[in-house]
Amino acid sequence: MLRRILAWAGTVLIGLLLGAVSAWATLRVGSASFAESYGGWSYNRAAGSTAAGPYTRAIIAKEGLLALSSREAVYFFLNRDENGRPLDESCVYELNGRPFDARWWSVTLYADDGFLAQNSDNAASIDASRVGNAAPWRARIAPVQGNAPFWLSSRSARRSFSLMLRVYNPQDDFRPSEESLPVLSTVSCTEAR
Amino acid sequence: MSGWGKYVIAAIGVAILAHIAIIFATPRVLMNVAITRISSIAGFNAWQLSDRVTAASRAIIRPSPDFAYSACVYDLADGPVVISAAPWEPYWSLSLYAANTDNFFVIDDREARYGAEITLVERGRPHPEGASMVIESPSKRGIALIRRLAPSPDTYNGAAQVARQDVCASVAQLTR
Repeated sequence: MLRRILAWAGTVLIGLLLGAVSAWATLRVGSASFAESYGGWSYNRAAGSTAAGPYTRAIIAKEGLLALSSREAVYFFLNRDENGRPLDESCVYELNGRPFDARWWSVTLYADDGFLAQNSDNAASIDASRVGNAAPWRARIAPVQGNAPFWLSSRSARRSFSLMLRVYNPQDDFRPSEESLPVLSTVSCTEAR
Repeated sequence: MSGWGKYVIAAIGVAILAHIAIIFATPRVLMNVAITRISSIAGFNAWQLSDRVTAASRAIIRPSPDFAYSACVYDLADGPVVISAAPWEPYWSLSLYAANTDNFFVIDDREARYGAEITLVERGRPHPEGASMVIESPSKRGIALIRRLAPSPDTYNGAAQVARQDVCASVAQLTR
């Protein structure tokens, strides 16, 4: 009898563990499966929407709580370079963008924990009010600014940092595409990765 | 069924149920954490202007340093809540989030150039007489958020001044 009770208790425990691990894995690595991808940027049209499914809702809650619906703003997320490697503080990157069919945009750099990198460079973000939205632009992503006019500081962002592109009040005909989104390229890496 | 088969099937069943429960619970749990953090400072039905977003800002994941955020945890337990947002250039918006994280309402300066005032009621409850814009909330509690574009310290200070005019209060509080 005791053996049977222990067997059922173990069964429930294993089931709970499997359920928890599979849910954690879905939330941890499943974002890509529930999003569209354009040149490395991932985008979820259902972010913030009342029509979002349970997986989208859970992933957005974890990755970007209090996101606006796509009627007001669209969000794009990038955490890999052009070769699929995690973005790394030890590298220098260049981000080349074009004007957006939108009212305002910004690109913000987040450390691997999803918060601003622990530095005092005051260079966590670039946006249309500083860069403009009428001509192509170029920004440097590195621990130091160098002679770049626009800079996102990756100092103390460690490995696996990410970029978030926010596009506010997109035009009705705004359709994300690989061509319309900024292109990231690696300039150099100083250490063995 | 005999042997290990019944245990394997039972474990798979429990795993599926646990997986679904966690996926459905995650948004509500994370939203509850946000509600607790914000209301622990300002209480319910009151605006809380966040400090300018810096590396030290840890309340909500992925904050934008280009915005001045004001948040109000609304609670409709005592009836309708009046929420207003004072205008700000070059951009402001007022958005409402239900307990499951859904952004069920948003208005911005394109639609309300001179600011917005709404009366929030729980879904299915009667609308107060005389209220110009009544919005139904799918949940009793949630978060109202005002974003004002303020990418520099100077513009943040200006937005902070304007934010003092915002209102988030139950009708019962206002008529007391």
